[in-house]
Amino acid sequence: MKEQIPEAVFWSVAVGLLAVTVLLVRQRGITARLRRRNAELAEDVLTREEEVRHLIAVRLPALEDHGLRHPVPGVGPRDARLAGSGFAKSLDHVLERFATAVERAQARADQSAKAALKSSMRSIQALANEQQVAISDMQDRHDRPDVLRDLLEIDHTNAQFGRRAQAIAVLCGSWPGRQRSTSALIEVVRGATSRVRDYRRVQIHGQADIAVESRSVEPVVLTIAELLDNAARHSQPNTKVEVNVQSVHNGACVIIDDAGVGMDGQATERATGLLSGQHAVDVTRLDDPPQFGFAVIGVLAARYGFSVSTDTRSPYGGVRAVVFLPSALLRHRDPAEEPPPVTAPPARAAVPGPASDGSPSEGARAAGAPAAAAPASASPADPASEGPGPAGTPTTTGGLPRRRRRDRARTASDAPPATSTTTTSATATATEPARTGAADPASGRGFDLGSGFGSAARPHDGGGARSAEETARRIAAFARGTLHGRADRNGVQNPSGTPHEDEGNIQG
Amino acid sequence: MRPYVVTDGRSQPTRNTLDLVTLVIAADDLPLTGLSPEKRDLMELCGPGALSVAEVAGHLSLPVSVTKVLIADLMDSGHVVTRAPVPSARPSETRILQEVLDGLRARL
Repeated sequence: MKEQIPEAVFWSVAVGLLAVTVLLVRQRGITARLRRRNAELAEDVLTREEEVRHLIAVRLPALEDHGLRHPVPGVGPRDARLAGSGFAKSLDHVLERFATAVERAQARADQSAKAALKSSMRSIQALANEQQVAISDMQDRHDRPDVLRDLLEIDHTNAQFGRRAQAIAVLCGSWPGRQRSTSALIEVVRGATSRVRDYRRVQIHGQADIAVESRSVEPVVLTIAELLDNAARHSQPNTKVEVNVQSVHNGACVIIDDAGVGMDGQATERATGLLSGQHAVDVTRLDDPPQFGFAVIGVLAARYGFSVSTDTRSPYGGVRAVVFLPSALLRHRDPAEEPPPVTAPPARAAVPGPASDGSPSEGARAAGAPAAAAPASASPADPASEGPGPAGTPTTTGGLPRRRRRDRARTASDAPPATSTTTTSATATATEPARTGAADPASGRGFDLGSGFGSAARPHDGGGARSAEETARRIAAFARGTLHGRADRNGVQNPSGTPHEDEGNIQG
Repeated sequence: MRPYVVTDGRSQPTRNTLDLVTLVIAADDLPLTGLSPEKRDLMELCGPGALSVAEVAGHLSLPVSVTKVLIADLMDSGHVVTRAPVPSARPSETRILQEVLDGLRARL
């Protein structure tokens, strides 16, 4: 019995140990499983935390910058394991809500910023215009050079000031403002130079007989002014900014070359994007300080249908900006339609002097008068025009002879020697208006009837210069009249005739 | 066109002999190469005969002082010459005026 006790103890201890061991082993397995599970869960939580952090740090800002519709490559969920899970879906949902909210907020901010800017810029623009009128009045009133100097400076500053306000207003959806009459492209470019700081550095070349339609004058002026301002601002003060005006097959080009620093690839790309005018411009995101120029040009180009490119290098190392104006925005300079801004008496307007190249006013008007019998188109070269080159022949700024439309009168006038003014003009004065008016209705319009009357009142003191030309024109009118008379008598219909040949006969 | 572009920023004519009534006469045979459009307009205006500075300014729609700068430039380059204004006619004799008056009275 005594022996049995230890055995019993032993067995019980053994069973106990076994049980403990089994339990321990099992416990260990459970622990290991739990640990694994724990680790997995911890990692999962960590992943989600990371994902959320990634969402806040990368995805939301990217979304804020680019919007949901233009996803940025490389900015997606961070961990591929979460793809398809409920968590990822929730995150996407959050992103969507966020994007919608951001878009709405941006639209509202943009709208209110634009509205505020637009109205304030419009009022500033109106004030600048008012001030310009006041300055012009003062310029008319004051005759002293020192006062004028100050006024010119104020005027110049005011013009730049008005341009800035106008540009911002346009960017905010306003119209460019002033309605102007159809003007020559050269005048448009000159008008643009008057609105930039360094207008003295701008050199304009080229003679295109092209006018810009009234509707698009102001936008083109503003566009060229912005480009000139850029060109002048980004180049050395001692360099020139060259502007070339050319007519091309489908319209006209204004080419602006500067000798400045140029633009790198990224800037060019950005500029091209802005200039295309395809994307709406957000006024709240135009750098700091804001760069309005290209954005404004883009808006105008898209609205009026011209195009601007800045992606070529100028031969001087800077940027070459090319404004292409399609034919729809242009008009050939038709002298008959133009109002006479230079209110010259008819006698002066009708006497052709050397053409004034830039202005649509006097030169074109005077030049157009004799040429009215021919189709009044500006561009085709008159074959005779290159012929005679007397000292008075107008030349381009490059020194080449200019094309002229009144060469019939001119060649005729070069032939005879300068006859005495007084007698010829006196007789012609009496005869010409009646003859041209009655006999040659088709081409008589070209001869300004006022010229006959006007010449009587014309002071003769210094005016020997035009007498030969004038005389020739009168004789030509006379010849045309007699030709018509003969044609009528013979029953031959020859209304238009060839006036200059007959001029030659009569004169010779 | 703003005046400072027309004068290229200058306000001081190169000579101060110009007056509102100074007559401007275009010289004949100088090429107009290189002249600004306003100067060409001016030459054209003065081509047929003499015009006073005030008239030129009026026709060009420019302030008189700006026109003076242009004219002074053109004088320097020899494109125009200027002349003192034509003196006003001497007042007619009283006798003639009296005769005219009498004649008018007789008619009316």
